[in-house]
Amino acid sequence: MMLLLMTRLPAAAVAVVLLLVHRVTAHDGVLIVAAIVYTTGSLTVLTALPRLQLSPLAWLVDCAAVLALVAASEDWRSPFYVLMLTALVLPSTGLAFRRALGWGIAFALAYLGVAVYTELDANTLESTIRLETIATHLMVPLVVVVALAYATDVLERLRDERLRSERFAVESERQRIAWELHDSAKQRVHAAHLVLSALQGQVSGAQAQLVGHALGELRAAGADMDTSVAELRTPLEGRPVQRLLEERAAELGPVSEAEITVHGALGELPAHVAAHVYRIGAEALTNAVRHGAARHVDVILARNATSATIEVRDDGRGLATTRRPGSNGLRSMRARADTIGAALSIGPGPDGSGTSVVLSLSTDPEARSSQT
Amino acid sequence: MIRILIVDDHPAMRAGLTAVLRAEPGFVPLDAATSDKDLWPTLNRTRPDVVVLDYHLPGDDGVVLCRAIKRRLPAPAVLLYSAYADAALTIPARLAGADGVVSKSVPANELYDAIRRVARGERVLPPLSRELLDDAGNRLDADELPILGMTLEGTPLLEIAATLGVEPAQIAHRIDRMIKRLKVEIPAPRAAR
Repeated sequence: MMLLLMTRLPAAAVAVVLLLVHRVTAHDGVLIVAAIVYTTGSLTVLTALPRLQLSPLAWLVDCAAVLALVAASEDWRSPFYVLMLTALVLPSTGLAFRRALGWGIAFALAYLGVAVYTELDANTLESTIRLETIATHLMVPLVVVVALAYATDVLERLRDERLRSERFAVESERQRIAWELHDSAKQRVHAAHLVLSALQGQVSGAQAQLVGHALGELRAAGADMDTSVAELRTPLEGRPVQRLLEERAAELGPVSEAEITVHGALGELPAHVAAHVYRIGAEALTNAVRHGAARHVDVILARNATSATIEVRDDGRGLATTRRPGSNGLRSMRARADTIGAALSIGPGPDGSGTSVVLSLSTDPEARSSQT
Repeated sequence: MIRILIVDDHPAMRAGLTAVLRAEPGFVPLDAATSDKDLWPTLNRTRPDVVVLDYHLPGDDGVVLCRAIKRRLPAPAVLLYSAYADAALTIPARLAGADGVVSKSVPANELYDAIRRVARGERVLPPLSRELLDDAGNRLDADELPILGMTLEGTPLLEIAATLGVEPAQIAHRIDRMIKRLKVEIPAPRAAR
């Protein structure tokens, strides 16, 4: 859209100036007004309704309008020629390369039709200079389309490549952390547990209680590490969040009474954001089923142009008033939300019963980078 | 007096085990090895009664090393000492001739007990379950199943060879292959794809 603004405004200015300094037709005044109305009108509508920027019907209307302007100027060497080319910006950047080329050819043929309608005749075709001019005029739309479509294609590939390497970086980092947790930290915990447990038979009374407590903590630490390692090793592989949550729901389904439904989708998110969003959702889901004794759990995913929200709502017994010993689920959810600059709210459901966990994050890259 | 050799790649685990075993009357922890590289010289030098062998080691894993240790004459008792997957180790450990499998999460007195029992020639192995056998059956060839069955029942190698009418060396080779197939996968950091 930026590109369209940057090309259409100067092109319209050129057309208006040409019409002002040079008498083209008997109704130049009307043409100037038409050019200004068309330019401002088309840009306003396309800016207000971003959906139209991707609509072939809108492109068609746009192309028809510029061709009509050319026809109204009564000459195919029209002051509107450059303005006409700007109608190719959206199709060239919105379509795949081959389709864009097809669109360009169709457009060039339509322009040829307009040229024939205005004054292209046998005379023109006999003169070499004029023949060359019409050929150039016909080729320019194709060149514009090819150049834009090629650039768009390259940009898209670069973006995919960046996403892929981002995902890979996240994935290999996770593997490394999992490996370190398992290979080193957990071995130390085992060693500490073993050494301490050797004391167990040798102390009594309060001391034995202390040792027992420490051993319990070490076992819990080992279990926490196992959970983290398993979590770190679950590869997300760039699959959409709703698929992953559905899989998680299917895993939880058989071991609980709860009926879990996943609605909606989040669309594409950067890999590390998707990973955190999934972990938060999965943790909320697990809490609802394990500790909330929920019968129904709804996971609602929604995405609009600037933000994504995920809500996990259950009809269980609500939030515990006291902290469960050894629970750090909520804390880790908040830490994850902070990491991706998202807002997390945990509270009772809309009707005061159950629990509702809502995570909302801005998907506007500029807004996000200013937050972090 | 039970002379014990520790094989573990993590220094904290080696130090902890040595300290704990030294504190227990009747146990003599010998030198500790870190992997397949220094295991053999240490084993030759110390000639232990019991080897407490970590499963997950750099290079050959504990099951493979266990099989190699048990081929020696006279062979020490081998106790596989693993941080995870005890159930999954059951069948490979039996195939490799391990005398016991103990989880690293058990308290010291259970470890003492297991060491004493394997030193007396007893077995300290987790029970076989239907699922484990089914899973192993799915991962092995049909003609390997009789070897698996007989090995799990404790039939000596020569007898298995005689029953199946093949060379003992061939059976030993098949068992090596079966151990490889039943390898307990530890998710290692994946190499760059």
